[in-house]
Amino acid sequence: MNVRLLPILCLLLASCSSLPEIRTLPDAAGKTTCPSPFVVQKTRFLHAMEAAAAGETRTVMIGVTVADPASRTLACALMSPEGMVLFEASRNSSGMEISRALPPFDSSDFARGLLDDIGLIFFEPPEPVERLGVLDTGLTVCRRRLRDGGWLDVGKDRDGRVQIRRYSEGGRLKRSVTLAGGADPYAAIDLQAWEWTGYSLSMTLIESEILPDEARSGK
Amino acid sequence: MRLQALRRLILTLPVLLMVFPAAAGVNDIDRLRTDASRITSLSADFVQKKSMKILSAPLVSTGKFFYAAPDSIRWEYVKPIRSIVISDKGNSKRYIASGGKMIEDKTGGAQAMKIVLDEVAGWMKGNFTANPTFTASVREGPETQIILTPAGKNMAGLIEKIEITVSRRDAVVKTVRIVESASAETRIDFLHAVVNQPLPPGTFQDIP
Repeated sequence: MNVRLLPILCLLLASCSSLPEIRTLPDAAGKTTCPSPFVVQKTRFLHAMEAAAAGETRTVMIGVTVADPASRTLACALMSPEGMVLFEASRNSSGMEISRALPPFDSSDFARGLLDDIGLIFFEPPEPVERLGVLDTGLTVCRRRLRDGGWLDVGKDRDGRVQIRRYSEGGRLKRSVTLAGGADPYAAIDLQAWEWTGYSLSMTLIESEILPDEARSGK
Repeated sequence: MRLQALRRLILTLPVLLMVFPAAAGVNDIDRLRTDASRITSLSADFVQKKSMKILSAPLVSTGKFFYAAPDSIRWEYVKPIRSIVISDKGNSKRYIASGGKMIEDKTGGAQAMKIVLDEVAGWMKGNFTANPTFTASVREGPETQIILTPAGKNMAGLIEKIEITVSRRDAVVKTVRIVESASAETRIDFLHAVVNQPLPPGTFQDIP
């Protein structure tokens, strides 16, 4: 089968799907906890990022992310392996600011989508958990209804990897994130985007650093 | 256009660095051109430090650079991400690390690299003033500094200036500093430069 057809088939399958059923575990109350791999302190991450579309690696970049969960602010930069800064942007409660955006990263849709993806990966959703249970696949998940519409499942598979899945209001899978098992979930991140132009990001941690909280330190 | 100009600049920097040693201590661009034309081959290690506001400490990259006259170039980053650009006999290819192996980058960027590397090869043969993107000046002091400033608006907002520092004592280029803005710059230190010596076999061959 032509691999180029694969994303289209997946998209068709996804568009026909509905929100996966959750079976409530009889002994869930008080025994099962929701996985929370998300950052709890302001942290800077440096990742090698591999972007692919239609099943083929398109480019490799260096990604820098600063995530501050207290203020829910994000800053990110994308660099070529040679160190050329291709994209730099940040987002806080006031909105999004793009410092640099060279082609093909120069559309506001790209910036918004990238910051949304980064927020999905690093920030715990503010919405409360509505349901906790098990999917047919055996994955234990916590489901939230998102304020902006849609649903978010966070679960952990048998290998200890955290799975984050965002669905549309109608239950169509839009994003799927898999974090590494083990001590550092951000050591390896795989993101699949199920849009008309589907893409994937594979991120391998180069280094991370806890940063001082400027608000608390008064700086 | 601006992106192409920036790519051209980044790729030509190592070459600039390597051609200046033979001309250190003089402030004559024509002399630099003459000395550059004497180079038949060169190799060097490099350490690149990228500083920008989002980074508390510079991002350090390391790699190797090779050139053979008239137009063969290999520019290889080893860390933190391996990437290789090879230009040889009129063909240019870019390889990136993916899944533990090197794969050819077949995006349009590879073709842009060919344009860049063709120009680099021209510079290696002494055609320094062929590129209208920058004007060069020389500043004498404890060390010699070659300063490149954008000649037009192509680099506006991307590059403010480039400083190439050459030791007057031993005629060796020490650093290149690319100032992008008040809060962002790239510094490249070249080490272990070897001029006009045989290069390892297969330096410019395709990566299998």
